[in-house]
Amino acid sequence: MDHVLTEMPSLSKLYLNAAATSAKQRLARTTPTVALPTKAVEVRGVTADLAKVTQFAHLMGKPARDVLPSGYIHALAFPVAMSVMVDEDFPLPLLGMIHLRNQVEHFSMILFTDVLTIRSWARELTGHRRGTQVQLVVEVRSDDGTRLLWRGVSTYLAKGIYLPGLDKPAPAQAPGERAPFNPPAPTAQWQLGVDTGRAYAAVSGDFNPIHLSVLSAKALGLRRSIAHGMYAAARVVGDIGSPKPEGFSWDISFDSPVFLPATVSLHIADTLADDDGVWLGSEFTAWNARSAKPYFHGSVTAGTAATK
Amino acid sequence: MSSTTAPFLPTNGIRKAVIVGGNRIPFARTGGAYAHSSNQDMLTAALDGLVARFGLQDQEIGEVAAGAVLKHSRDFNLTREAVLGSALSATTPAYDLQQACATGMEAVIGLSNKIKLGQIDSAIAGGVDSASDAPIAVSEGLRAILLDLNRAKTVPDKLKILSRIRPKDLSPDAPNTGEPRTGLSMGEHQALTTAQWKISREAQDQLALASHKNLAAAYDRHFFDDLITPFRGLSRDSNLRADSTLEKLASLKPVFGRNLGNAATMTAGNSTPLTDGASTVLLASEEWAQANELPMLANVVDGEAAAVDFVHGKDGLLMAPAFAVPRMLARNGLTLADIDFFEIHEAFAGTVLSTLAAWEDEEFGKTRLGLDGAFGSIDRAKLNVNGSSLAAGHPFAATGGRLVATLAKMLHERGHVDGRPARGLISVCAAGGQGVVALLEAR
Repeated sequence: MDHVLTEMPSLSKLYLNAAATSAKQRLARTTPTVALPTKAVEVRGVTADLAKVTQFAHLMGKPARDVLPSGYIHALAFPVAMSVMVDEDFPLPLLGMIHLRNQVEHFSMILFTDVLTIRSWARELTGHRRGTQVQLVVEVRSDDGTRLLWRGVSTYLAKGIYLPGLDKPAPAQAPGERAPFNPPAPTAQWQLGVDTGRAYAAVSGDFNPIHLSVLSAKALGLRRSIAHGMYAAARVVGDIGSPKPEGFSWDISFDSPVFLPATVSLHIADTLADDDGVWLGSEFTAWNARSAKPYFHGSVTAGTAATK
Repeated sequence: MSSTTAPFLPTNGIRKAVIVGGNRIPFARTGGAYAHSSNQDMLTAALDGLVARFGLQDQEIGEVAAGAVLKHSRDFNLTREAVLGSALSATTPAYDLQQACATGMEAVIGLSNKIKLGQIDSAIAGGVDSASDAPIAVSEGLRAILLDLNRAKTVPDKLKILSRIRPKDLSPDAPNTGEPRTGLSMGEHQALTTAQWKISREAQDQLALASHKNLAAAYDRHFFDDLITPFRGLSRDSNLRADSTLEKLASLKPVFGRNLGNAATMTAGNSTPLTDGASTVLLASEEWAQANELPMLANVVDGEAAAVDFVHGKDGLLMAPAFAVPRMLARNGLTLADIDFFEIHEAFAGTVLSTLAAWEDEEFGKTRLGLDGAFGSIDRAKLNVNGSSLAAGHPFAATGGRLVATLAKMLHERGHVDGRPARGLISVCAAGGQGVVALLEAR
């Protein structure tokens, strides 16, 4: 039975719940469950906050349109996914989870006036050589729930959490033997100040302490605050754009955290059709401008899996 | 002298637009002679000199168009205000335009087209920029608060809004040369293009040296006497180093593309410095020039704009002219070999050399220009023969007017080549991956 919420949950309360749950688990030393909750969380009657949409687009250096930017839709739906992860049946601790990958498909343009139904559930609880990973699926549908408009799949890693019964895949390459990264010539360079995390938190509502300040990040075991993965994703997807806003998809994998402040070098390259030169998609790679350590990579593609 | 009757229009609907002459103030390195001169001061000075040179006092000109790249919001009517402050008739209409570093070129082409169509008989195109007196804005945070404050009606509301101000809101927001979509400065963008086309440090320094030598020689033979009016004690471009040598240029450290390792070749010597200055060009129909007994130096034959997709890394930021020139010449049935003078704006020595390299590249010609092979090469003896931006400096919007007036005079001096009027080509790259080029012909 799905859990239908009457209003959008508050992210700050969800973060507090997450902290409380994690403390309770530590105190009780309960054995974590190995199965994912089978129910989904659904919120109906969701609309965008126009002021936030505008601020979001401007933070990305983009014109604010009536069409919602991809990254904003993720931010809008994020509390629903969070509700799944703070559920007491959810087997992994929310705080400290690492963002590994995002895959998003746009099936239709979403306007700020559209009334939406957002539904999220967890799937694919699997072993990872550094812990346990899980996927959170978010579907954004039309008000009546019939038309699928947007789907996002976020992959998270609970580092150092090994659940009994989950096979740990053998690493493809031993750590340290990864092929060296040779950065290509950059096509862009981002100067990210220490306030990048706070600025994105203000427009997305994601006030995860690891993004806010050096002190709050240190409290969670990081040496400095880090940029939101979705900030990078939303910005690079916005930079690349799509000639077909009604049908495109993107995919981003995070290689290492962007500790703030940072100078991020970025390379974008197009893939064009051989016959008519039509844009099929763009690949992107980002790395630390000084150390050449890779930050993230991915692609924006015309169309969706359903149309390709 | 001015006429209020409808302009003469030939039966084919198009007539000639001629360049009568030009006037600019010497260009000054930023923070120098014009450190406290505003855009309006400098544009008015350039306009005053043009009016004096061609006896335009109290004349009603068809239209004046000019612009500035770095412009304060209070200068919303910069050109009209400069006209009102000049000796031109107060009934001369004017408008501002802006196409980054191609502003002056676009002003010349747009006004020439109005003359060609018979909409106006005379026009003044211009441009001005000050990197010294640049507008500084309050931070975005403070701006939002001040605008909200302006909308608030009650004292408690106003106090509540004022309480939102944080110390970081008080730091000002100065303009920078970074491309909004990539965050890379123009120099960093060009450094990537320079490396991509494998342009050597030596070739760039040689081009820079030639620019200084050519500009100095042109001053020495009084070429600029009827193109420049002194301003604020300056009678020559202050960036000009007549005594520069290859050794001096070779001793400079790279300033752009330093993350490219050994490939870093761009220095302060082979890149244009930030500069202040203004320029103007007087354009007319043949009839108007003749009626006013004014010289006719050259015709504005054609113009073309292009843009490249640098955001997706397809082409270098400043490579748009490499596409605009082949299109414009093809439309006129010409090749590079038919051109007698090339004025290729030296944003950076690497920009000029990368453009030439692209034209000489067979692959580029075939795959990007759709030609059978390379577009062609040019005789370097015809390139920027009276110096260009590396020596003169580059007050963004003022460069187009400098190039057009200089080339028109050179073409007029040359007269005919092989029994036909001498031809000149201007190529200007601009921010945002744009470029504007023009074709002139001697009279």
